[in-house]
Amino acid sequence: MTALRALVRKELASLFGAPTAYLALTMLALVTALIFFDHLRLYNQILFIYASATMGGFATDSVPDYVNLWDSVFFPVMETLGLTLIGVVPLITMRVFAEERSRGTDELLLTTHLTPTQIVIAKFGVTYLFVVTMMAVSFLYPVMAIEQGGLGLEHLSAVYLGLVLHGIGLASIGLVCSAFTSSQLVAAISAWAIAFLLWDLSWANSFVGEGVAGVLEALSIQPRYSSFAGGIVSLANVVYFAGIALVCLSVARFSFDLRRVSGG
Amino acid sequence: MSGALSGTGVDSGPGPGRGVVIEARALSRRFGERLALDALSLRIERGQSFALLGANGAGKTTFIRLVTGALLPSSGSLTVDGISPALRPAQVHARLGFVMETSRLYPELRVKGFLRFMGGARGLTGATLAQAVAAVLARFALEPVAARLVGNLSKGYQQRVSLAQAFLNDPPLVIVDEPTGGLDPVQRGEVQALLLGLRGKSTLLLCTHDLEEARTLATRVGVLSAGRLVAEGEPSELLGRDDALALFRAGAESAK
Repeated sequence: MTALRALVRKELASLFGAPTAYLALTMLALVTALIFFDHLRLYNQILFIYASATMGGFATDSVPDYVNLWDSVFFPVMETLGLTLIGVVPLITMRVFAEERSRGTDELLLTTHLTPTQIVIAKFGVTYLFVVTMMAVSFLYPVMAIEQGGLGLEHLSAVYLGLVLHGIGLASIGLVCSAFTSSQLVAAISAWAIAFLLWDLSWANSFVGEGVAGVLEALSIQPRYSSFAGGIVSLANVVYFAGIALVCLSVARFSFDLRRVSGG
Repeated sequence: MSGALSGTGVDSGPGPGRGVVIEARALSRRFGERLALDALSLRIERGQSFALLGANGAGKTTFIRLVTGALLPSSGSLTVDGISPALRPAQVHARLGFVMETSRLYPELRVKGFLRFMGGARGLTGATLAQAVAAVLARFALEPVAARLVGNLSKGYQQRVSLAQAFLNDPPLVIVDEPTGGLDPVQRGEVQALLLGLRGKSTLLLCTHDLEEARTLATRVGVLSAGRLVAEGEPSELLGRDDALALFRAGAESAK
């Protein structure tokens, strides 16, 4: 445990001292603010039209039957943030193993008391801590909307559970991509490719049979993430994200054994 | 890779009382079609400073990676203190300090922070860790740069840092890969003086392509050529030979 603690401390110092991490954090905070205020502006416009219509100022078919903060602001913001995280998290994860490999320090690490499993766990834990920090900073505005919009605690918990699980899945995908290359760029691009592909596989439905389409839908992140954002917590969705993490971290651990055999 | 796991070693268990620290028997390692180590048999005795000489591509680093357990052998056996690095890498790591080529460090960490990290990763804690860090800072004359970032140090100082981390837990075996590669003559002299000071205190496996360095630092020398051990003996007898350089040339030609 001493060795594991030492690695966690070192990873914290390295990650929280890396400029790219703060660049990613700033990007996410800015994008979140932009999306949020854009939707809020739209909401205010709709609200104005709605109020005017109900007071007889307007008589138009374009006025919605009802309007609320949840449907107009919060849900679309959370949806877009799910995608934004896919763009940002690989910027954090790309360096995790690739940097060690390009420096040659991975072999130095392995001559200490650290085991490959401990290295994977420590690096994942610290990376995920940063992702959570990033999300906490970025979700200040949605939290304000929730506060104002009177969203229930249960619904709010479901939304945040979805975010936490989505973050775990993305961090794991990024980590496994970083474990197989010494190029941070390759690690980031491959993580983006896999995560964007997994986000919504339904585009392939028209090319495959009904059975395969069902499998593709089951493998897609988007419906499961949206389910949490809609306030529904399902064990199957929790297992799905946990499964992604388990598979990715196991493959990342396996990369150590593979390198002992291949020498690469 | 077929047979990659076959040559994992005898693994007769630790043997602190015995004289042999590293023993390789018909050790081979293949990368695809290329045979990097070809049936290498070698014994390194306790307390020896053994220099493994060879041109680039002769197989020196491959041998080191097999000793540290970073690679699995294709065939043959290898033990460190009677333990197979392929089967029980953690037990081997507890016995060795490893100095990689220059710059294979964490440039974003400060010297003291890096040494504390490496000490912690080697299982040292609390007062023991603080003492070990203070001891290597003094031993390798790193006190003036202890608060500086590793990445901002000269290559000579970086190599000292690299040496210092390997001695944090006073390992019985120290492996040093190309310790003076890329250093200027003054820095080379300083690093060689440090390594000379370690002679007899630990078993030292030194990989180099520098004949003079081997002559200065080693008590025994082996020459690798195209993955084969082509000569072994005392530095004075082996490196004083007229054909010492010819052994290198043969290795360099084979590696092309």
